[in-house]
Amino acid sequence: MSILIRGARLIDPSKQLDKVTDLYIKDHYIEAIGDLTRVNADTEIDADGMILSPSFIDLHTCLRDLNQIQKGTIASETQAAASAGFTHLCPSPDTQPCSDAGSVINMVKNKAAAAGFCDLLPVAALTKDLKGAQLSNMESLSSAGCIGFSNASYDISNNTVLLRCYEYAATFGLKVFVQAQDQQLGSGQMHAGPTATRMGLDGIPVIAETLAISRHLQFMQHTGVSGHFNQLTSAAGVALIREAKAQGMKVTADVGIAHLCFTDTAVQGYHSQYHVQPPLREESDRKALLVGIVDGTLDAICSAHQPHESAAKCAPFAATASGMATYDMLVPLIQKLVDAEDLTWALAIQALSSNSATIALRKTTSLTLGEEANLTLIDPNHHWTLNASSQLSHGTNQALAHQQLKARVSLTIKAGQISYKV
Amino acid sequence: MTNSGNLQLTANGELRHFLTPEGLDRLMLERILDTADSFVVIGNQEVKKVPLLRGRTVVNLFFENSTRTRSTFELAAKRLSADVLTLDIKTSATSKGESLLDTLQNLRAMHSDMFVVRHSDSGAAHFIASQVTPDVAIINAGDGRHAHPTQAMLDMLTIRRHKGNFESLSVAIVGDILHSRVARDQVHALKILGCSDIRLVGPNTLMPQAITSMGVTTHNNMDSGIDGVDVVIMLRLQTERMDSAFLPSAGEYFRLYGLTTERLAQAKPDAIVMHPGPINRGIEIESAVADGPQSMILHQVGYGIALRMAVMSMAMSGQMQQRHAKAVNPLSLKREPQP
Repeated sequence: MSILIRGARLIDPSKQLDKVTDLYIKDHYIEAIGDLTRVNADTEIDADGMILSPSFIDLHTCLRDLNQIQKGTIASETQAAASAGFTHLCPSPDTQPCSDAGSVINMVKNKAAAAGFCDLLPVAALTKDLKGAQLSNMESLSSAGCIGFSNASYDISNNTVLLRCYEYAATFGLKVFVQAQDQQLGSGQMHAGPTATRMGLDGIPVIAETLAISRHLQFMQHTGVSGHFNQLTSAAGVALIREAKAQGMKVTADVGIAHLCFTDTAVQGYHSQYHVQPPLREESDRKALLVGIVDGTLDAICSAHQPHESAAKCAPFAATASGMATYDMLVPLIQKLVDAEDLTWALAIQALSSNSATIALRKTTSLTLGEEANLTLIDPNHHWTLNASSQLSHGTNQALAHQQLKARVSLTIKAGQISYKV
Repeated sequence: MTNSGNLQLTANGELRHFLTPEGLDRLMLERILDTADSFVVIGNQEVKKVPLLRGRTVVNLFFENSTRTRSTFELAAKRLSADVLTLDIKTSATSKGESLLDTLQNLRAMHSDMFVVRHSDSGAAHFIASQVTPDVAIINAGDGRHAHPTQAMLDMLTIRRHKGNFESLSVAIVGDILHSRVARDQVHALKILGCSDIRLVGPNTLMPQAITSMGVTTHNNMDSGIDGVDVVIMLRLQTERMDSAFLPSAGEYFRLYGLTTERLAQAKPDAIVMHPGPINRGIEIESAVADGPQSMILHQVGYGIALRMAVMSMAMSGQMQQRHAKAVNPLSLKREPQP
């Protein structure tokens, strides 16, 4: 089985590679890169005008399934992820039932393997049932393939328990993932600002994020655990991570695609599709998040994909479920940032691919001879409309539904096999 | 700026829902006040009914407790000769969205023409008007902390009838701004009607984030806040605010922000005192002030019926025009897209 991609712009920031050439895949591996005019393959793809990069790795997603099949299944959501260029996903532990046991992890991984679209690198629960009281079987869960531990959006309010969590994780060199938002201060529905005030919605102040980041940084520093912060939202949050990195701490962080692209004003008119947690903040925060990606304070961009059924979003704003299905619009949103000159494709690929691979796989994926072929081919000029027939996620909470979009993944290759083709 | 401006109007710019004054223009608010003025007279006549809503069905949907607002809406609908059904619906926390949708669709199937809605969630009336029953006129009788437009407009009616205009006035709104849907709409309405000196008075715990973006000034000190004002609007303080750490005690609140005769002397000598009711005597206002010559509190209740009659008749007329326009063009009968 061989695949030849002709004339693509190969971008691999980890190798400072950016050139138009051909790439040949044979038996799962990258066999040749360069002018391959005279080579033939079982499958040949004319990729003129397209971008070929190492595949994307998602550091934060919700795939539903189990007791939430009305929102999405592992098959549907991993297929949607493949259509966004991902080959590896780190699902959040707030599944139902919660990912605090090897049996749940195995079930989820088996379902993904059967579907064949993406490999899962689960983040397991830090405490049993995410209740913040008892430690989960971290070592066993790590052996079962979990790459880190998180208490999802649930606080561990007891500092003694949190210290034990960090100490136990440090014992086995395990990574702790943090969704940094104080649960009590985060009980509102949107960013605390002029829009929330006008709409009469409960606000979530920025201090809900900075307080949680500072607290977890203290525990990381004290125990030496390597930590990763998911979904930063604010300029002040980015500043804290920048400072921690400057001090030499082993800390990484990501931002959700929605927070890079939208602000709290999108909620005006009670648009429940923009009801997300942590909340969309102000334009100055969005700009600071972009600067964070550019200067490397923020390592990665995650999807924070959270599919919902239509009823979950059809109610007065406060009664709607938070979360946005993002896989179907992720690449068009990146393209929008590139078109606005907020980002370059090289930076985006570094954040979606090279850096996230280092965090999740502890190694980089790259366009190198002999590497397993995990690749994403993007057509930046593909115009299409996001609607029920073009979307792959079962989530109906598509913020850009019925809109004309630009750019689309043309092909995703996982371990040398085509996992998605437009 | 929310989308509710468009949502509330027909293609011809007539009122068809009344959700918030925000997004409406000065002319529309003045029309509401003028219409209400004409209904004030009806309240004084022996026969208090007009046939404007004869044959129409008005359903009062109260998802949240209310006695005063509900009864004035009921009375207003009856004076307009509508058939009135009042439902008290307690929401279950788990299936709030579902039950709301189902309840409304059932009532719509009974050919209701107008829903008067009170709900504890901000945006509930907006949700119903935009997504559930766009062809039924929706009057917002209070949604969460967002809006309570008929209360705000009856306050405007009170001010206009006693002060004549808005441009030269200084208005202080005192108390729990944070939780007050009335205060937000009062600010919108006052701004639209030309008032430029709007002062919000209260401690920081009861002041919403970034409220000055609405074009108001904030004052922590009551004496400087009401200094020289023409209108003092006192807000009701819910006693549960003390339990949830917004305030230390009713006593301290009254000492700092309670309206007493001495304090009222800081305002202009002919200043009027308003309160949306029901009042907490001795917590936000002294009895001598509440019952005193400057108090408009009972006038407000009377104007409330006239104002609600005005809004109901205008929205029903707009909604009927819209329906008629659609009946002429059957293609437009589809469910309307979200704004």
